[in-house]
Amino acid sequence: MRMKNGLSYFSIMFFSLLAHLSLLLIVFVRGRYDSITDPMILSVMVLSMDIGYFIFLRFMKQNTYAFDILLVTVLGISLIFQSCFGKVGFSIKHFIFCIVALAMVQLGFKIAQDFRLVEKYKKIFYGIIGALVLSILLLTGSRSMWISIGSFTIQPSEFIKPFFVLVFATSINSLRHQNTVLGIKVVYDNWILIGLTALIVLLQWWCRDLGSLPTFVSVAGCGLLMRICYPKAKLSKKLIIGICVGGALIAAAAWKLAPGYVQSRLHADIWADQYGSGWQQCQALIASAEGGWFGKGPGLGRLYKVPAADTDIIFSTISEEWGLIAALLAVLLILLLVVTCIINTPRSYFHTTLSVGASAALITQMALNIFGSCNLIPFTGVTLPFISNGGSSMIACGLIAGFMKAGQAMVYYVPQPKRNPQRGGMPR
Amino acid sequence: MKSLKRGSNLITLMISLFIVGLCILLTKMILEAPFYVSHSSEADLGFVYDRNGEILFDGNAKPGDYPDGHFKDVGNLIGDTSGQMTNTLVSKNMEKLSNYSFLGGITKDGQAAIYTTLDHAANEQVYTSFGGKDGCAIAYNYSTGEILVCVSRPNVDPISGYEDVENLPDGSLLCKAFSKTVPGSTQKVATLLAADQAMGYDTLMSKSYDCQGVYRNNTDIDIICHQSYGHGTQSVPEAFANSCNPFFAQLVEDPDWSIGDIEKYYEKMWIAVNDNDEKEFTVDGIISDTASTKIDDKNEFDTQWGCIGQGYTMVSPCMMMMWESAIANGTGMATMPYLIDHVTNVSGRTVQTASAKTSEQLFSESSAQDIRDIMLQNGNNYSLGYTVGIKSGTAQVKEGREENALLTGFVDDEDFPIAFAVLVENGTSYESSYVAQTLLSAIDK
Repeated sequence: MRMKNGLSYFSIMFFSLLAHLSLLLIVFVRGRYDSITDPMILSVMVLSMDIGYFIFLRFMKQNTYAFDILLVTVLGISLIFQSCFGKVGFSIKHFIFCIVALAMVQLGFKIAQDFRLVEKYKKIFYGIIGALVLSILLLTGSRSMWISIGSFTIQPSEFIKPFFVLVFATSINSLRHQNTVLGIKVVYDNWILIGLTALIVLLQWWCRDLGSLPTFVSVAGCGLLMRICYPKAKLSKKLIIGICVGGALIAAAAWKLAPGYVQSRLHADIWADQYGSGWQQCQALIASAEGGWFGKGPGLGRLYKVPAADTDIIFSTISEEWGLIAALLAVLLILLLVVTCIINTPRSYFHTTLSVGASAALITQMALNIFGSCNLIPFTGVTLPFISNGGSSMIACGLIAGFMKAGQAMVYYVPQPKRNPQRGGMPR
Repeated sequence: MKSLKRGSNLITLMISLFIVGLCILLTKMILEAPFYVSHSSEADLGFVYDRNGEILFDGNAKPGDYPDGHFKDVGNLIGDTSGQMTNTLVSKNMEKLSNYSFLGGITKDGQAAIYTTLDHAANEQVYTSFGGKDGCAIAYNYSTGEILVCVSRPNVDPISGYEDVENLPDGSLLCKAFSKTVPGSTQKVATLLAADQAMGYDTLMSKSYDCQGVYRNNTDIDIICHQSYGHGTQSVPEAFANSCNPFFAQLVEDPDWSIGDIEKYYEKMWIAVNDNDEKEFTVDGIISDTASTKIDDKNEFDTQWGCIGQGYTMVSPCMMMMWESAIANGTGMATMPYLIDHVTNVSGRTVQTASAKTSEQLFSESSAQDIRDIMLQNGNNYSLGYTVGIKSGTAQVKEGREENALLTGFVDDEDFPIAFAVLVENGTSYESSYVAQTLLSAIDK
């Protein structure tokens, strides 16, 4: 079906297919595989996912072309990368995660498309966050973020992220109504959100797993910034100074009060302890360097043997096998997903706040993963959105991406003119 | 709409910051990649050569590939990739040896190499000249800064591996030329330089003190001379040649200069006084100690003993050698020593070339020339085969149970501008002179 703007999902599908075919060609030519059927199966599955999703979108008529083409391209690339680490094959596990992520994008899209729906079920979202927090306290092991069910592990804190992003965009209208408490003007909803942020920070502190803390803090920071300046267009100088001073004080306090294991990471010299705590990062940097611009070839790396090669240090695993150029291009594609939010600007404050929160979550997570594994900042051990292996991360990122997509194809409500009861008809 | 635009601006800011981070990462990766690869198990490291093309390091060498003990004279200076020695030329410059480029990756049999200023044959001779004694010897060209000899005993031959590493003799895994030691009477050079700057040459030369074998200082503690019947009344050059402790104790007590003067001029010479931070410098990445001491009262034994080169005073042989260079060239500025002459990359292109550099002003030009004359006068008492400025020293160590022999000096010849420092542990002045003589003749070949 051809849309009015001349684009159709079938026509743009070829851009995605072209990108994947190029990578698959590299797999065939440079990859390490036992049998030609290995890359063939991979090719069939990647192209099937492309075509399948575009057929699905064709019937959904969502008109978010740029976002969709980028999303499917990123997920296809992710599937190719994950299937080739160590040896070319087909990672059915990651294939399922990709499908789940696509489903989550649709779920996130449906949840956030209509802001009235979000307002209506706001308490449920808070309830989900509360339930997830409780599950961490009650179901995980002692002071841990992981729930283990046999060989299967779930990270509930990952699922908190999308709902955390969502609740920061709720109750926008309440921001117009300030209440005076002890002579200070306050908005109750903002204080609830600050309390929620504090709860999550304390939870992570207690679990001694501060890896995702910067992601939550950046979402909360951006969300609050959007909220405190609504509906005014400008921030007052006083407010900007206040925010900067407050932020600096919090950062200084966190730096000072950080527990020992965090302090040791903040001041770590990985090369001085390259066979101890710096092992992963040193190996990641060595592998990236060995890969150079163009990589050793799919399946020809050795970093895949290092723990978390397909999650926390995946940027280096990709750099080693595919080259730094390919790794950077993959990251830039994810970044372009965020860029679509400023190209197709949301038309409501709810969706704008939602897009800002979602962008903050994805960008912070990318920065933590890439810069952390390459020793530019302390290593926190978080996943690279859509690329890293792991169901929890894929589900969370899928929902967050769905929120971004929703901002680009939201439901409009045209205000209905009120009837004039005296004249019994429409006003003239 | 303006409030909606704010959202876009915020996202743009985040994207911009992230892209800046990526650019920094990219730059870091490209610049540091050779260093990362040098730590790789797949790394192919190039050779280290001496000034005549002899191999001093071969990362792929196995026992039997080279004659026995081939690397032993400079083993703990050049080092290897085992991680057993961390302050060596190889461990500090591995990225320069990487046969690697970001574009081409790891290249087997590339041409990355370090060409040193060392003379392997001379080092072997000097190493042998120690006989069974431990210690170190370092010598360099004080016009250019090229280190020609740098041996330290005991040593290891890295090619033989580190079997029984636990039982290696103390000091085997470090080059003593860069570690502080008790300087003994060689410290009198520094004390004389400080006095010359504080009092002026004429005043200093007018000083004469009596030595009757023992001197009771202002706090009633005895300073004993190595010559029990004493040296009698001496001038500065005579006392310098006699290495007379009572004379120097009285010089320290002299009212024509203050404890502040000593501290000031010592600090200027990179001697860290009274727990002040030590000056740090490196020789192509190899960290070298400088010097330190404790002095607080001119009349106290500890201060006088420190200025004589005992007590808390410690100086690295490399630092002694640098003082000699600053005296020999008459400028008061030391020529900075270096080991790497040039470096070639994987494709054989020269990517680094050494050049002569000098330190900051360690002491005044006039003092350098004054002390130079005194040292040359003292050098006449030695028959090393060259016109030399010399100061010997005997340092009591292990609570006086052993004495180390030291010799530091320079050759006064424009065509053979060599400064050196020799330490023979538990040795005699004869042994230190023999090592110095061997060193000079070996370099001169």
